[in-house]
Formats: sequence, C-alpha cells, structure tokens
Amino acid sequence: MQTFFLVFSYIIIAYMLFSSLSYILLFMIAFRKVYRESDLDPRETTEDIAGNERTFPVSILVPAYNEEVGVVSTVRSLLALEYPEKEIIVIDDGSKDQTSARMIEEFQMTEVAFAVRAYLETAEIKTIYQSSIFPYIRLIKKANGGKADALNAGINLASYPYFCAIDGDSILENDALLKTMKPIIESDGQIIVTGGSVRIANGSTISRSKVETINLPSHPVVLMQIIEYFRAFLIGRLALSRLNILLIVSGAFGVFHKERVIRAGGYNKKTVGEDMELVVRLHRLLREEKSKQRIEYIPDPVCWTEAPESLEVLRSQRVRWQRGLWETLWTHKKMIFNPAYGSVGLLSMPYFLLVELLGAVFELGGYFMIFGGFFFSLIDPKTAGVLFLVTIFYGSFISALAVLLEEMTLHKYPKISHLVRLYFWALTETFWYRPFMVVWRIQGIFAAFRKKHNWGDMKRKGIST
Amino acid sequence: MTLSFFLVLTAILLLFQMGLLLYLIVRKKRRQRLEEETENEYAHLTEPFASYMTDSSDVRFLYAVKSIDHQQIVLERLLNGYVAFTKGANASPLVKQLSEEFLTDPYTRILGQRNWARRINTLHYIEDFHMRSLAPALLERLKNAGTLDVETQQLVRTLASLNETAVVDELKRFLNVPVRLFIDVFNRLDKANANEQIKTALEGSDEAAKHAALAYIAHSGALSFLPDVERELASSHTEIRIQALKTIYRLEYMSDPDLLAPFFDSSFWTERMFAARIAGIMQFSRYKQTLSTLLGDSVWWVRYSAAEAYTHFSDGDVILAHLSENHPDRYGRDMAAQWQTFRPGGAR
Repeated sequence: MQTFFLVFSYIIIAYMLFSSLSYILLFMIAFRKVYRESDLDPRETTEDIAGNERTFPVSILVPAYNEEVGVVSTVRSLLALEYPEKEIIVIDDGSKDQTSARMIEEFQMTEVAFAVRAYLETAEIKTIYQSSIFPYIRLIKKANGGKADALNAGINLASYPYFCAIDGDSILENDALLKTMKPIIESDGQIIVTGGSVRIANGSTISRSKVETINLPSHPVVLMQIIEYFRAFLIGRLALSRLNILLIVSGAFGVFHKERVIRAGGYNKKTVGEDMELVVRLHRLLREEKSKQRIEYIPDPVCWTEAPESLEVLRSQRVRWQRGLWETLWTHKKMIFNPAYGSVGLLSMPYFLLVELLGAVFELGGYFMIFGGFFFSLIDPKTAGVLFLVTIFYGSFISALAVLLEEMTLHKYPKISHLVRLYFWALTETFWYRPFMVVWRIQGIFAAFRKKHNWGDMKRKGIST
Repeated sequence: MTLSFFLVLTAILLLFQMGLLLYLIVRKKRRQRLEEETENEYAHLTEPFASYMTDSSDVRFLYAVKSIDHQQIVLERLLNGYVAFTKGANASPLVKQLSEEFLTDPYTRILGQRNWARRINTLHYIEDFHMRSLAPALLERLKNAGTLDVETQQLVRTLASLNETAVVDELKRFLNVPVRLFIDVFNRLDKANANEQIKTALEGSDEAAKHAALAYIAHSGALSFLPDVERELASSHTEIRIQALKTIYRLEYMSDPDLLAPFFDSSFWTERMFAARIAGIMQFSRYKQTLSTLLGDSVWWVRYSAAEAYTHFSDGDVILAHLSENHPDRYGRDMAAQWQTFRPGGAR
C-alpha cells in the first residue's frame, strides 16, 4: 500500500512541476507583449477611432434576471460610454421582480411592434419596448429561458454587426468599447471576438463609469480573488491569445462578430458556461473552415466587477465555473488531442483539461498525501516535504509572480503598500484559499452531472455611485 | 531529487522574488517621486502657459519652462491638454513653435531608442503638435521601413498629418494596404492635397485606394466628385459598387435617379438595401412601388430599409399603415407595422 501512495505522490509532484512550468512558459509569452505596450499613452491610441465614422457600430446586450437594484445604473453607465455608434438592449429574462418596470419608468419606454428576426430560437418574446428619451435603448421582455437564451434573444434584436455582451453587474470604463473594438477595426474584421480584462472593483471608488480611486479591499477573500484574476488574465489569457488558442472570453465583457455567432448557432442553452462554450465552438468552426480569423484578448483593464465577499457566494460561483468548464470540454471532447484542430486541439484543450479542470483533483490528492505523510505515515516525511514545497510553488509562488508581473507592466495599484499587501497575501494562497478552491472545483465537476440550471445568485451591494 | 534540493530551490525562488519585489518597490517609489515633481511643475506652469497661449507677448512661460527639471513631460502634458480641449489647436503656430523648440531634440532621440511604446507615443505627439521640423527624418524612416506594422502605419499617419503626400507613393511598396490606412491618410492631408490624391486614386487601379477615396468623399461631402462616384456604380467590383452606393447615400444626391434602377433587382442584398435607402432619403417617388416589392424581400435588412425609406415621404405613415394591413408578405406587414412606431438610430 505504501508503494501505491509513494507512486501516487510522485505522480502529483510530477504533475505540479509540469503545471508550474506551463504557467512559467505562459508567463514568458505574456510578459513580452504586456511589457512592450505598458508605456503606451492610452488616450493617444484610442483618440484616432473615438470620433471616427469608420468604427463598426455595436449593440450592447445586457441580460438581466431579477436585477431591479442594478439594472438602471448599469444602463446609465453604458450611456456614458465613449463610442461613435451604439445601441443598448436589455433582456429581461422573465424576472420575478421589478426589473422591467424600473427600466420602463426610468427611461420612459413605450411598447413597439418590432419585427424581430428569428436567427436563433428563444423562449417566447412577450414585448419589446423603446425609450422615448434615448431611442437606442430597448428592452426585451421575455419568458424565462436562462442567460444564454436571453443573449440569443438580444442577438436577434440587435441591429449592428458586432455585439458586446456584458453582465448586469459590471461597470465598463468610458473608453472600454473603443479599446476593445480597436483590434477588430485595425484587423479589418480578421479578429472576430475580443475579450477585455476584468478587474475587481471592491475597495475602489467608481463614479459615473470612471474609476476615481483604485484601492484594495480589506476582505482577504476578495484580495485573493484580485490575485487570482491577475493570474488568470495576465498570465493565462494573454499568452493563449498570443498563440490564438484562447478559449475563454469572460461573460462579464466581450465583443463578438454577430454573423459569426449566428452561424455558430448562438449561445448554448444547455450549459452554465455559455461564454466559454461559445468561444470553443467558434474556434472549432474557424479550424474546420481553415479560417485565419482570430479571437483576441486585450490586457488593459476595461471592465470592473463586484467580487463576492462571502464564502458561500464564492463557492456557488466557482462551482458554476467549474461545471461550465467540464460541460464545455465534454461537449467538444472530439477536439482534445485532435491534430485536425491544430494548436487548439493539441495545446489549449489539453491544457484546460489537465491544468484547469483536473488540477483540482491532483491538488486534493496532494493535500491528502501531505497530511497523510506528516500525520499518518502514508509516505515518508521527506517525500511529504517535497510535495509540500511543490504545492507552495504551484500555488503561492506562481500567484506571487502574477502580482509582480502586474507591477512590472500595468502597475494599476498606485501605492507601495498595495504591492506589498498583494504579494504577501499571494504567498499565503496555498495555506488557506487554495484548499477552498480545490474542494469547490471538485464539487463543480460533480455538479455537472446534476443538470439543474439557474442564473446564479449574487448578493449585490453595487459598485458605482 | 531530494528534499534538500527542493528546499534550496524554494529558497532561491523566494529570494529571487523578494529581490524582484524590492526592485519594484524602489522603482515605484521613484515613479511616485517623478510624478509628484512633474505634477508640481505642471501646476506651477499652467497659468503662465495659458497666458502665453492667449497673448504671446507674456513670455513668463518661456523663461519658466527653461528652468524646470522635467521639461519634456510637462510640456507634453500642457500641449496635449491644449490640443485636446481647444478647437483647431493642432494648427496653432504657438503649439508648433513651442514643440519644435523644446521637443525636436528629445523626440529625435526617442525615435532612435529601443522602447517601442515611447516611439509610438512620440509619433502621436508629433502629429498632435504638427511638428513639421521632423518630417524629413520621418520620411526617411518610412523609406527604410520593410513592413507595414503598427509603427509604420502610425508613421504614415503622422507624415500625412504633416501634409507629406509622398506617403501615398510609399504605400505602393507594400502589399495589402488596409483601406482604413488610405482613409486615414486622405483625412489628414490638407484639402487641396487630399482632393488631388482622391482624383489620382479614382483614376488608378488600386482597389483599396479607390475604396478609401469613395469613403472619404462620403464623409467629407465632396460633391465635386459626384460624376466619379456615379461612374463607379458600373464597376465590376462588388465592394466598389457598394461603397459608391454608400457614398451616394451619404451625399444625399445623385444626378440621375435612373442610375439606381438596376440595384433594386441586384443579386447582392447589400445593393438592394442601399438602393432602398437612397430612394427613401432622396424621396424618389417613382420608386415607391418598388419599395413595396422590397418590403417582401427575403433579407431582413432589405425589408427594414424599404420600410424605413417610406418614413422619408410626406405620405409615408399612410403608406406604412396601408402596407401593414395589406402587404401580401407576412414579414412585410410586420416590418411596415414596426416602422409606424419605431424610431431608428443608435447613440452618436
């Protein structure tokens, strides 16, 4: 039995070393681009397209379910976006609260007989409203069908060639759309999807869609999420985007070429990870069509979101994410290790399977063997010690590296104390935060087998004044 | 691999990270100090600068700017602020004079440095401040450029803003020049040079340049080119024909409505859509019946544009009310009903 545990420990050590090295490799790929662009004057780079008639008009889709508290402020923040031509479509997915009533009242909306195209099948559309103050704000009131269904209804109503999907609780910076559309405009349509960086707003002061003061929250759980976002966005997504194998564009903020998405069949209603599933499906179609079009991510923080402060809400969010990841990988299992899908099939999909999905299983095994080794002699203490150090390396060191990368490149947190606090909290990750994540991520895998869908539950405080 | 190996490895990595952290703390501190000093100097110079820009005989600013430590950064900020918020400021002789006097040397130096972001920023600033003194050096740089990358494209835009028409010839060296780059060039040249380049582009065979010329005519409203635009309606290239239709739609004028007739039956829905839009915006009554046919088109956008076109006619609401009840096509009836209450347009 001891031999089994020993071999098991070696497998975990090898796995963690391999995963850590893959992170470092991604770090190196990401570093060059972010570092090169870190001194660019942001105003100058978007100035040229800000008042330009050649920007593509964009439909902004805001799916909402029981968002009576935040929906009006979200739409108000969208009104402030600097962009030559846009329309805002709020989709009330059968809310049980006053979401529609608040919109109708605030923006003086009246019912219109809109001839909606049925590109994508959705639950019944009950009524379409148009604002009499801002005619480009529309509201779709529909039967409940889930977030993916709401987005599909928004796509059907959208008039413009690109749509931007944002979460009802996110706040976009004033120039977010300009920054995100810039690669699409400059590539003459060769880039079909762009995702922007999402940052955690807790602790910072955001007023009228503008980040007034960037600060750190006091809650350690939120601090750790900030570090996690650095790790995910600055290291992972940027490097994968450079290789054109990015599989995730955050549901909180992404711009898509509408016709491409319609051709791909729209958002998948059968998964809770509809944002990732759509991007994987688009990759799949691009590879099958041998298209040179790309999916790109921009590192500049453009979207601010409220992170959960309670462990219960965080647990529910992570279970959903992991479940979405599993469902996406399962739906597109044909692509994994399949050379027909190029680097997406050979690199990206295996990476998400082995590192992002199964990582939790290996980590749980690692924690089990460390305790088993130190307290129950399952393995000799030296091997347990090695495992312990590798776990720290895999968890804390890589996260601390992400904090340093942020400071080397974007350095958005203004105070020295911010940097020091983030760095030292990152070093504690392995000892308390990561074990929670590991357990929840494994629960997420199990949850994938129970097919219950919902919109997710987040207790909002609001992030903008 | 033993425990001691991993212990040593962990210690080395930790030390490395701590060293890096220390370096970043020192760097942050320095940046903060620089920012503080720059802010102070900026605040100190704002009033004399504003005074100098309104009355150049008040030379306090010229003495003050020579005595500060962060001359380049402060002057860049002052000029950028002035250019961004004052109408026509980038053509201001004072902006040009100040930038050429104080920024020519630092910018020449930066353009030779390895820092890519700073080079790009500098090209933008040269454009904003209209620094003609750097045009020869920039043109030389463009001539030596081997690829049309982001930096070269910005170089082209900057030179065009300095009214260097040679960039159009230089662009011929590159394959697949984007249409938007040609448009950027035409937009930046002064009117006389732009018109000359537009004429050359319309007479030439470069499809991207021709496409860009038509787009430029659309948003500049240069009606003098109308005969050229109308000639392109017969182009064998679909994209050029569509752009010509777009341009006519934007110009809201065409010499002969008959030129539009073939497009109502085009096999390309974009052409049918623009034909409907043009018929509407120019209120060509003769096409009212044709619009009714397009209201039953298989493509949603054509139906949408046909119904929208009726809203431009004085009796449009009556026609739409009638069609919403009596059009033979169900989708056509729905679309006509929509346009009785719907108000189009996005936020601009």
